[in-house]
Amino acid sequence: MMSNRSDTESIATVLNAERKGPSDSGGTNGVKTLVFLRDRGIIVLWVVLVAVFAFWAAPYFFTLANAALVANVAALTAIFAAAVAFGVLSGALDLSIPGTATLAAVTGGTVLHAGAPVWLGIAVTLAVGVGIGIINGVLVQRGLNPLVVTIATLTVTGGVAQVIAGGVPVSGITQLTWMGSTDYFGVPAPVFVVALVFLVGAVFLSQTRAGVRLMAVGGNIEAVRRAGINANWYRVLGFALSGVCAAIGGLLVMATTTQASPNPSVDLLFSALTAVALSGMPLTGGRGSLIRVLIGALIIATISSALVIKGIPPYFATIATGVLLVAALAFEKVMSSEVARRLAPPPTASLPIDPTTATSTPEEA
Amino acid sequence: MEPNSVPALRLSGIGLNYGFVKALSGVDFEVHHGEIVAVLGDNGAGKSTLLKVLSGAHRASEGTIQVEGSDHDFKSPRDAADAGVQMVYQDLALVDAADIATNLTLGREPLRRGPLGWLGFLDKKAMRRESLRELESLGVTTAPVSRPVEMLSGGQRQVVALARSAVRVTARGHGVLLLDEPTAALGYAQTRQVEELIRRMRGLDIAVVLVTHNLQLCFELADRVVVLNRGRKVADVLTKDTDMDSVVGWITGARAPQADLVA
Repeated sequence: MMSNRSDTESIATVLNAERKGPSDSGGTNGVKTLVFLRDRGIIVLWVVLVAVFAFWAAPYFFTLANAALVANVAALTAIFAAAVAFGVLSGALDLSIPGTATLAAVTGGTVLHAGAPVWLGIAVTLAVGVGIGIINGVLVQRGLNPLVVTIATLTVTGGVAQVIAGGVPVSGITQLTWMGSTDYFGVPAPVFVVALVFLVGAVFLSQTRAGVRLMAVGGNIEAVRRAGINANWYRVLGFALSGVCAAIGGLLVMATTTQASPNPSVDLLFSALTAVALSGMPLTGGRGSLIRVLIGALIIATISSALVIKGIPPYFATIATGVLLVAALAFEKVMSSEVARRLAPPPTASLPIDPTTATSTPEEA
Repeated sequence: MEPNSVPALRLSGIGLNYGFVKALSGVDFEVHHGEIVAVLGDNGAGKSTLLKVLSGAHRASEGTIQVEGSDHDFKSPRDAADAGVQMVYQDLALVDAADIATNLTLGREPLRRGPLGWLGFLDKKAMRRESLRELESLGVTTAPVSRPVEMLSGGQRQVVALARSAVRVTARGHGVLLLDEPTAALGYAQTRQVEELIRRMRGLDIAVVLVTHNLQLCFELADRVVVLNRGRKVADVLTKDTDMDSVVGWITGARAPQADLVA
C-alpha cells in the first residue's frame, strides 16, 4: 500500500513536470488512467470478479461464510507467495519453498510432539526456515545458480524431513489449533497471521533502509556494490526472509491439519508463483508490490471458490487461472510500454539541466 | 591549476603486466584540483588499464600512487573510493526501479529520528530534500527526485550517475572523478548537458580524469591532454598548446613522442 502511494506521488510530480514541458500536448489524464490501471488494475480485476461471481454464483458466493472460506484458502497461497516474492525481489527465484516449509514443520512438529512448550515449537520451526534460507543465500552468493541451488535444497530438505518423521506424518499436534482451525470474530486464525506478515513485509520493503536496499540488490546488484554496501548480505537476507515465510506457511498448514506431513507440496509452490505473477511482479527482480501479491492470491482463491459453488469441475479453475495469468502479463506489458512512451518525451525535451545551456533547448531535441 | 600546487592524484612510474604483455610501462600521470585531464589513445594503448589502476580495480606492478601528496595503495575500488577517487562507469550502475533520491542516497540513507530510526526506518523526506540540495549545489536540475530512474532519458541518467559520484567527492571536500566515455551513448543535446555538468565540477575544484575516444569532447572540455600509445605516455600537453592533428598523430604513432618523454 505504501509503495503504491509513493508511486502515485511520484507520478503526480512527473505529471506536473510534464505539464510544464513544452513537448506535452495534453493527455495527462490519459497517463493518470493508464498508471492507475497498471498499478491498481489487479485490484479492479478482483473487485470485478467478486461482483460478477456475486450474481453468477448467487446466493452462496457473496456471503460472510464464503468470504471466510476464500480468505482462509487465499491466506495459505499468500504466505507461500510472500516467500516467493521476497526471493524474487532480492533477485532470485527460490524453488526450495515447499521443502523448507515441510522440513520446518516436521522439525517443529517433532519438538511439539515430544512435549515441548508451544513457543519453543514455533521458534524451532521459524529457525529452521531462516537456517535453510541462509544456506541457500550463502551458496548463491558464492556464485552458484539460484535455480539449481534451490532445487537441490528442495530435494534435500524433503529427504531430511522424511528421515526425521520416519516416513509418516507427525500427527496429533493440537497445541497450535489457536492459529489453525480457530475463528476469531468469524475470521479464520491464519488470515490474521498472514495479514500481519504482509503488513510488516510491505512496510519493511518500502519504508526501511534494509528493505529498500534489498529491492535495489534485486534491481541492480552492481550498483549497490559500487555504493560501498555489502550487497551479498542483502542477497542472503532475501533468502532468509523467503525461508521464514515458508516456515510460517508450514506452521499454518500444521496448525490447520494438526499434523506435519513429510511430503513437500509442489502444488502450493505453483499457486504461489501464480499469485506472484498475477501481481505483475517481474521475475527479473527489484520491483513489485507485496500488497498486489496478496490480491493475486485472493483472485486465485476467489475463482476456485466460485467454480466450486457452481459445481464446475476444479480443473476448469486451473484453466481459468492460467488464461488470466497470460492476460495479466500482456496487460501489464501494454500498460507499462504505453506509460513509458507517454512519460518519456523525446530526450531532454522537458527538462534541460540549465537554462544557460542555450544549445540544448527543447526545440532541438 | 597552479603548477606548484600538490596534485589531487599523482601516479609515478606506473607499470603493469598482463602475463608477458606490458600493458603500461613507466607512466607518470597527475591531475590537479579544478583541472580536467583527458586520456586519449587507440584501442589497446592502455587507457582502460590506466583507468583500472586509478580506480583500484587493478594493482600496478610498479610505481606509486599519491593522493593529495600522500602515498596510497589501492587494493580495491573501495580503497580508491575511501581515498576520494570516484569512478563513473560506462554502464552507470543505477537502480532503474528506484527513484533519483534513492539512487543518490544509496549507501548513506538518512534514517528517521527516534525509535523508528533504530529500526532502520528511512526518512524519505530528508532523502528527497538532501538529493535536491545536492543536485542544486552542482547546479543541476533533473527530473523531480521522486521519479524512477527508468523514466529518465539517457542524458538525465548520465547526469544522475555523474551527480552521485560528484556528491561523494564534494562531500569530503576535494576529490578525483574518473569518467569513462561519459557521452558515448548520448545524443547531441544530451552531450551538451553532460559537458556543462563536467565543467561545473571543475568549477567546484574537483579533479576530473576523462577517458574517451572522442577528440571533439576532449578539446571542448579538457585543460590538458595525455596520450598513451602501446602502454607508454607519448604526449602530455595543455589543450591550448596543441591541435587535433598533432593529437591524432600521437594516438596513431605517426608523430614522434614529445622530446622529454622519450625513454
